[in-house]
Amino acid sequence: MLEAIHLSKNFKGKKAVQDVNLYLGHGESVGLIGPNGAGKSTTISMISSLIKPTSGEIKLNGVNTITKPGEIRKILGVVPQELALYQELSAYENLHFFGSIYKMQGKELKDSIEQALEIVGLTDRQKDLVKTFSGGMKRRVNIAAALLHRPEILILDEPTVGIDPQSRNHILETVRMLNEKEGTTILYTSHYMEEVEQLCDRLYIMDHGEIIAAGTKAELLSILSTEDTFKLELSKLDGNFIERVRAIEGIRKVEAFQLQMKIIAKKGSNLISELVHLADQQHIQIINFQTETPSLEDVFLHLTGRTLRD
Amino acid sequence: MRSFIKKDILMFWRDRKELITVLVLPVLLVFILNFAFAGLFNHDKKSTIDLQLAVVNQDKEAEALEQLNKKLMNEASLEEQEATALVEQAQHIQPVPLLFDFLENKDIKNLVTVHRLKEAEAVDKIKEGDLDAILIIPDGFTAESLYAAFVGKTPTVKLQYKLEQQTNNSSALNNIIQGFMYQLNYQFAIQTIAGAKEVEVTLPEGGFEEIGTGETFTMSQYFTITMGALFALFMVATAATKTGIEIRQQVFNRILLTNSHPMQFFIGKMVSTICLVFLQIIFVIIVSNLILNIFPDRSMTFWIGIAAMAVLFSFAMSGLAAVFTAIILRMNNIDASNGIFMLVILLFGIIGGNFVPIQMLPDWLQQIGEWTPNGLYLVMFTDWIQFEELSSLAKPSMLLIGFVILSTMAGLALFPKRGITK
Ligand SMILES: Nc1ncnc2c1ncn2[C@@H]1O[C@H](COP(=O)(O)OP(=O)(O)OP(=O)(O)O)[C@@H](O)[C@H]1O
Ligand SMILES: [Mg+2]
Repeated sequence: MLEAIHLSKNFKGKKAVQDVNLYLGHGESVGLIGPNGAGKSTTISMISSLIKPTSGEIKLNGVNTITKPGEIRKILGVVPQELALYQELSAYENLHFFGSIYKMQGKELKDSIEQALEIVGLTDRQKDLVKTFSGGMKRRVNIAAALLHRPEILILDEPTVGIDPQSRNHILETVRMLNEKEGTTILYTSHYMEEVEQLCDRLYIMDHGEIIAAGTKAELLSILSTEDTFKLELSKLDGNFIERVRAIEGIRKVEAFQLQMKIIAKKGSNLISELVHLADQQHIQIINFQTETPSLEDVFLHLTGRTLRD
Repeated sequence: MRSFIKKDILMFWRDRKELITVLVLPVLLVFILNFAFAGLFNHDKKSTIDLQLAVVNQDKEAEALEQLNKKLMNEASLEEQEATALVEQAQHIQPVPLLFDFLENKDIKNLVTVHRLKEAEAVDKIKEGDLDAILIIPDGFTAESLYAAFVGKTPTVKLQYKLEQQTNNSSALNNIIQGFMYQLNYQFAIQTIAGAKEVEVTLPEGGFEEIGTGETFTMSQYFTITMGALFALFMVATAATKTGIEIRQQVFNRILLTNSHPMQFFIGKMVSTICLVFLQIIFVIIVSNLILNIFPDRSMTFWIGIAAMAVLFSFAMSGLAAVFTAIILRMNNIDASNGIFMLVILLFGIIGGNFVPIQMLPDWLQQIGEWTPNGLYLVMFTDWIQFEELSSLAKPSMLLIGFVILSTMAGLALFPKRGITK
C-alpha cells in the first residue's frame, strides 16, 4: 500500500539517506532498525510528508504523496521521536486540540479522546498537565495523539527511548494490539533489536543512510545460517584435545578459554557424536553442551561489523 | 480556527510566569515610577519644558481706544455717548500687557521664555533653531478684543500662534495660550453680560491643570499607557517565541499532519494576540486606575474611547505578531529570532516614547517615533485624555490601521508556504 522508491535526502551536501526502498503492505507490521544517525527519522519524515526527499518517490496506492500530501496525511498516524505535545496543556487538552484540528467535534471527538486515552492507559491522569508526567507517560500521550483519527498506518519513531520497562511493555503491547486487533499497518523504528523481533513480521536494517538488509526474521537469520555455534564446558582442557577438535572435518573455528570451548562449524556437519567420542577417548567429561542460535543482533554484527548500540 | 485561538490563549493562561510578567509587572512599574517621579513631576515639571517663544506685537495699542470708539459707533451703531462710556471703561483693560503679564507670571515663566521681537527677526531665529514658536499679536487686536467683549461676539482678529514643529511638548503650550485667550474672552463676556461698571479681568492661573478646556495629562497616566504598551510588545515577542517552541516541540509538524492549513495557525496567532493584548492593556489601565485613581470622574464616552483605542492597538500588535511569527518560522532559530524581536521592541519602545517621554528625544527621532504603533497609540491616548475629541484621533488611527494592514501583509508574504521546509 505504501512504498518508498530510491529515496535519498541530503542535508547541505551531507547524505542522510541514500537510495532507500521500503514497502509497507496492508496490515503488516514492519520494523526499521539501525544505530544512531542511521537515517531512520529522516526516512520517516519523508514518508510522512514532513520533509521533501532530495530524490526518489513515495507512493500511496500508486499515488505520489510528495506532490499530494493530503491523502497520506489523512490515513497516517505519526508518533515522532521527540515529544510533539504542549507541555503546558493537560493530556486531555492536548488530545482535544489535535482532535479538533482533525476536524472532529462533539461526541465523535470525545469518544476518540476517551478511546485513545484508554489504549495508552492514561484515562485517570488525563486532567494533569503533560509537563507533570513521567517520561514514559509523556511518550504514551505522544502515541495517543497519533491515534485520534484512527489511522490506517501508524509510524512510530523510537517510541520507547529512555523510559521505564513498565511503560515500555505497555507501549509494545499497545502497538501489538493495534496491529492484531485493529489491523493497523505499523512501521516501527527502534534501535532495540528485541522490540522489533517481538513486534514485527518484517524488518529493514539501516546503517549510514542505506538499507543493508531486509526481509522476514527467518530470511535475515538465514544470512547467518551457514554456520552452527557450539559451546562446551569440560572437566579439563589441553592443547592436544583442542588440536584434535580442530582437525575434525567441517570445523571452522575453535576458541578455548579456561575450561570452555566455542566451536563454529559448517551447518549440518553433525559433529556432536564425534565430539563426544573424542572426549571419551581423552577421558574428558563434557559438563555442559549448548548449541547457539544466531540472533538478529548477530546478523547486524555480521553485516556491519558493529553492534547496534556502541 | 477556534481550536487554535483557544489553544494559544490557554497556553498563555498556563504560563504563569509570563502572565505575571505582562499583567503584574506593568502595574507594579506604574506604581513605582509614579512614586519615583511624583516629586519630579510636581515640583520640577516646569523645567522639563522650556519653550523659547517669540512674541511679535503688531498692535498699535495707542490707537486702540480710538479704533474701538469708531467700531462701536459704526458697527454696533451705538450713540456717541454710549460709545464714549464704554471706551472709558476699556481704558482699564489692556489685553496686550495682560498677555505679557500672563506669559511672564511665575508659573508660565518656568515653561516659557518670552522674547519680544519683530516678525522678521523672529522668523529668522526660528529658522536657525533658536526659537520654538512665535506668538503674533496682530494689528487691531486690542480694539477687536475689547469690541468683541462688549458686544458679546467672538473676536475676528485673533492671536496667531505658530510652531516650528508640532510636538507633544509644544501642543501643551498651545493649550496654555489657547486657554489664555479663551479665558480672556470669557471674562470680558461675563462682565459685559453682568453689566458691571468696573471691568476687572482676572488672569487665568498658570500651569497645566488650570488652563484650557483640556484635562490634565499626568505622569501616572503616561506610565499606565506606556507600561501597558511596552509589555504588550513583550507579549507579542513571547507569542512568537511560543511558535518557535511549537516548532522545536514538533507540534507544528503534528499540526501539518492533520492537513490543517498553515494559514489557520497563522490567523489563530493573530486573533489570540488581539485578545491577549486587549485584555492586558485593559487590565493594566483598570488596575492602575483602581490603585492610583488616575482617571478620576471620567465620562462613559471617555472609557469607550479608551476601549476603542485598546482594540486598535491590539490589532496593531497582532500585525506585529504576524511578522514575528513568520520570521521565527523562516529562521527556525528561536534564540536568533528572539534577539531580533527584542531589538525591534527596544527600538519601538524608545522612539515610541515608552521608556522616556518622547520630548526628550531629538526631533528627528520623535518624528520617526510617531510612526511606531506604540508611538501612535501614545499620541492618541494623550490627545484623548486631554480633549476627548474624536477628530484628533482620526489621523493616528488611520496610521495604526495602515500599520495593521501593512504588517499583516508582510507577515503573509514572509510566511513559509509549505509549513517549515528544512
Ligand atoms: N535537519 C538536519 N540537518 C542536517 N543534518 C541532519 C538533519 N536531520 C538529520 N540530519 C543528519 O542526518 C543523519 C540521519 O539522522 P536521523 O535523525 O535520520 O538518524 P536516526 O536514524 O533517526 O538516528 P537516531 O537513532 O539517533 O534517532 C544524521 O547524520 C543527522 O546528523
Ligand atoms: Mg531518529
